[in-house]
Amino acid sequence: MEPQLNQEVINTAAQHDGPIETDAVIIGAGPVGLFQVFELGLLDIKAHIIDSLAYPGGQPIELYPDKPIYDIPAVPVCTGKELTDNLMKQIEPFGATFHLGQEVSIVEKREDGRFFVETSKGTQFLTKTIFIAAGVGAFQPKLLRVEGLDKFDNSQLFYRVKNPADFAGKNLVIVGGGDSALDWALNFVAEGPNKAESVILIHRRDGFKAAPANVAKMKELCDEYEMQFIVGQVTGYEEKDGKLTAAKVTGADGVTRVVPLDVLMVFFGLSPKLGPIAHWGLEIERKQLVVDTEKFSTNIPGIFAVGDINTYPGKKKLILSGFHECALAAFGAAPFIFPDKKIHLQYTTTSPKLHKVLGVESPVFD
Amino acid sequence: MTHVVSDSCIRCKYTDCVDVCPVDCFREGPNMLVIDPDECIDCAVCIPECPVNAIYAEEDLPADQVPFIQINLDLSQAMGWTSITKRKEALPDAEEWKDKTNKLSELVR
Repeated sequence: MEPQLNQEVINTAAQHDGPIETDAVIIGAGPVGLFQVFELGLLDIKAHIIDSLAYPGGQPIELYPDKPIYDIPAVPVCTGKELTDNLMKQIEPFGATFHLGQEVSIVEKREDGRFFVETSKGTQFLTKTIFIAAGVGAFQPKLLRVEGLDKFDNSQLFYRVKNPADFAGKNLVIVGGGDSALDWALNFVAEGPNKAESVILIHRRDGFKAAPANVAKMKELCDEYEMQFIVGQVTGYEEKDGKLTAAKVTGADGVTRVVPLDVLMVFFGLSPKLGPIAHWGLEIERKQLVVDTEKFSTNIPGIFAVGDINTYPGKKKLILSGFHECALAAFGAAPFIFPDKKIHLQYTTTSPKLHKVLGVESPVFD
Repeated sequence: MTHVVSDSCIRCKYTDCVDVCPVDCFREGPNMLVIDPDECIDCAVCIPECPVNAIYAEEDLPADQVPFIQINLDLSQAMGWTSITKRKEALPDAEEWKDKTNKLSELVR
């Protein structure tokens, strides 16, 4: 599950010259961020939603897509995938705009009371309210920890593949034992425009967390001398004239071998990091944002925090708590967006107004 | 913040914790496990799994266990300490050591 440039992002960027002006920006497209779209939608507030992953769903999708969840009210059991699919269906009427594969890097309060928001891909917003539903942070690639190696970041050391053609004809060393490592190894061995000069896969043990068919295919290619697999860990490197020339690989036998390369690719999976959120002037306690339990507002009026990212007395990190928080945060935000409007609580069962925003017929009872 | 494996784990190494970790952040040494603080997401599901209550949230560590924050950090990156993601048998004399305290001198790095 490697973030790819999302078509939605390109479309949005193309449509806008300058910042997108909006009422609400939601940071995080996990279950709680998605449900925030719903609760805002009922109050007639349109939202833009941003996530570092290239797909919605957050933790349940990234960490446990197939594990059953039993504690969603009125849903006796569902997987993370089903939960996400159902939430996406539920929020469809509200037409939120997704900005995926990018993380929010800047949040600044402006003099007119609005917030300036910018993402790592340069998407900019001017928004009246922000809802941080960032869970445990933005998922980032886990790094290969070899001292000094980071100076080759994005020149010869890569944690993701943006354009496979960049690596055609190169001598590649690919590190990792999951689906991404296997997929890319097979991709670069295969005949075609992206075929590498050579591919060496390195994993710390001879066992993979990847699709068995791909593992079998990889072993077959090794038997045919199309690629090579080495059990070991990258423990050092060699360089010449500022260029990375080889990885030092320590095998299970304790022997360190020098493996020459043009490009080192590392696929150790993703790990969430709180990242820039820590620098937005928000009150933080134990890596979580402190909120009140009336509106789930942070210490900065107009910025709300919902789901696993927030903390308050008695906080329990449950999806259902996050859903509840979304409803109150939406009502808490309404005065920022409609300062002169009285906001009434209405029910989806009986309110013709809500039926209109949901795009459903009002039921007729005899 | 992170979670931290403390003294109680030394010479026992029950590995019930590793099965539940959603981010595979446990590292295994000869007679103890540690948590890689860079990868732990503080979900806390490992805490109740440990039969000897060795795991604490960093802030909740008893005062005499605070040095284990650094020990977890150092050992999670030490040579030979590798990722463990599947439960296995505890050390053969775990029973004998599980109630002992101040076992740091027994730690094999």
